[in-house]
Amino acid sequence: MNERERRMPESLWLSLLPRRLRFESQLAARHLRSGGRQTLLTISAVAAGVIIVVFVTALIFGLQRRWTGILTDVLPHVTIRVVDPKPTPLAAVPGAPAGAVSSRIEQRAPQEKNIENWAQVVEVVRALANVRMVVPVVRGQAFASKGGNPYGVSVIGADPDMQDQVTPVTKNLIAGHYRGLGSEEIVIDYELARDLNVSTGDRIRLTSSTGAVEAFTIAGIYSQGQGRGSAYITLRTAQSLYSLGTAVNAILVKVVDIFRADDVAARIQTLLPYEARSWIQEFPQFLSTLRMQTASAYLVSAFSLIASAFAIASILIVSVLQKSRQIGILKSMGARRRQILRAFVIEGLGIALMGSLAGAAIGLSIVYLLSLIEQPVTRVGRAPEQLFPVAILPFYIALAMLAATAATVLAALLPARRAARLNPVDVIR
Amino acid sequence: MRTPHDLVGAGTPFATLQAPPVVIETRGLRKTYVGKVAVPVLLGIDLRIRAGEFVAIMGQSGSGKSTLLNILGALDVPTSGTVLINGVDIGTLDDDALAALRNEGMGFIFQFHHLLDEYTCLENALLPLMIRYGSVAEAARARVVRLLERVGLGHRLGHHPDELSAGENQRCAIVRALANEPRIVLADEPTGNLDRRSGQEVFALMREMSREIGVAFVMVTHDDRLAQAADRILLIEDGRLRELPQGSRRVREQGMP
Repeated sequence: MNERERRMPESLWLSLLPRRLRFESQLAARHLRSGGRQTLLTISAVAAGVIIVVFVTALIFGLQRRWTGILTDVLPHVTIRVVDPKPTPLAAVPGAPAGAVSSRIEQRAPQEKNIENWAQVVEVVRALANVRMVVPVVRGQAFASKGGNPYGVSVIGADPDMQDQVTPVTKNLIAGHYRGLGSEEIVIDYELARDLNVSTGDRIRLTSSTGAVEAFTIAGIYSQGQGRGSAYITLRTAQSLYSLGTAVNAILVKVVDIFRADDVAARIQTLLPYEARSWIQEFPQFLSTLRMQTASAYLVSAFSLIASAFAIASILIVSVLQKSRQIGILKSMGARRRQILRAFVIEGLGIALMGSLAGAAIGLSIVYLLSLIEQPVTRVGRAPEQLFPVAILPFYIALAMLAATAATVLAALLPARRAARLNPVDVIR
Repeated sequence: MRTPHDLVGAGTPFATLQAPPVVIETRGLRKTYVGKVAVPVLLGIDLRIRAGEFVAIMGQSGSGKSTLLNILGALDVPTSGTVLINGVDIGTLDDDALAALRNEGMGFIFQFHHLLDEYTCLENALLPLMIRYGSVAEAARARVVRLLERVGLGHRLGHHPDELSAGENQRCAIVRALANEPRIVLADEPTGNLDRRSGQEVFALMREMSREIGVAFVMVTHDDRLAQAADRILLIEDGRLRELPQGSRRVREQGMP
């Protein structure tokens, strides 16, 4: 007993509470301490709920973040191009006679495919909200060859420093350099280098889709891990390779909030006579899949909290039943209904706080341990990847603790009300 | 402190001018338990108990002794009739006022000590003060400690109920009943769960406390030897209350258990 007194300076923390809560808090604390295994069980039920929420959100949001990252790190968020002219059905042409049929094959009209005034476009787009960077590029197709068979390759001509931020190249280099690329230099991907059997310093030839031919020295080789990558050259070289003069054929935009890329694209379309498509429009299923995952995460979290709330409620109901005589005694000594109610709610609150703290600590530890597990290396020259790309989001942890606390207090309220209503005569004997 | 007896029932009360104030009074108290069949238990009880009196209530099992005590303690409500505690009709009080009355105006002692296992002996005795104030003033604590020392628990203050004997716990419960300095203590067979020796000890203590502090004790008991030592003996028979003359041996003749 003296040992019990020494364990916690109860009088100290009690004196910090308002007077009208002291008897109730003391009673709640004594119940929790004397509850032993039962208290531990209830705390575990709360903790389990919080662990599941922390765990599920860390896993799902981690996966989402990684997945979204993989996609959006290497993609332009908004791509600005010249609008593709769409054929108009003859019937829709004003003034065309009904039932008219055209049998003549028209000569292809020369079309504007390039953005001449790109400097202005860059200026306008850069001023928009949420835009992080704007990169004018020339994109095209070419054949790469070194003596033998030519291989098709996509070519992107852009400023290396800017391009690195749209689709990382330098980060994925396994040999050579990309930054500071010279006008006769090229960076190609590992697959192409293997097909051509070349390495850095070797020279290859590009034949563009317009027929121009130029020779390049391989400045670097990169590997992005999946599929065939593009070949990167400087903007100026690409302009001459595709005979564009000073024009570009695409402007790539990176935004800050990737889920608002649509707004940026729409804004650009209203301001400029070009087509602007966001990554969301390019991959419409991607976003809906993310939404489904988020909804599932919330649902799993909600159900696990509800489940633990029921567990808590049933344990507390039993504990109130066990204490009904004591409650009767306290009421015979003049304890009021609300004092009994408060004592049990405070008890629930204590359980909730301890449970959610323990749950957050255990959940975070599990998540941290999971984050340490690595996959076997599958890519040349790359650091091993996490098996579980977890996201530790303080907001969701706080939310889980708050929700668990609310659920526990609600669960405690039911038996507490019952306790408060007990009639001493029925329980004392 | 012997007080003139208030006659109960048909009798006319005669009191001297110096009589202490009436702390408990009932008028036409009836109680019928309504279940599948209505069971009338109390059929019109009129009693008056004055400050400082020690009253024993006797009666056969099921005669309604405990029911009467619970009604006096505002733990149960009568079917009809009124209870005046310190002159106040408790039927007019709301829940909170009743709780306050139980806390400040009276103390309870049950057959079992009903101390809280989670609290030490001293803390248990201080509980009525904790309930009332949320904390215990130094003077009040000293007074309760003195009472505990007085009942021979001075060396047991830090012990929990499970570490004390039944007699010790019951003595602690007596101090708890007196913690808020009430004018009334209601005791429901306080010695019923004790062996003869500690029962007598506990009774003697209650008797002394009532004399020393001037608290009215109403004690339900089966033990007519203890009852003989009370100021008055009230007998419940067939739902009605009858005062037994002092020193009467009739209790035994009535075939009490």
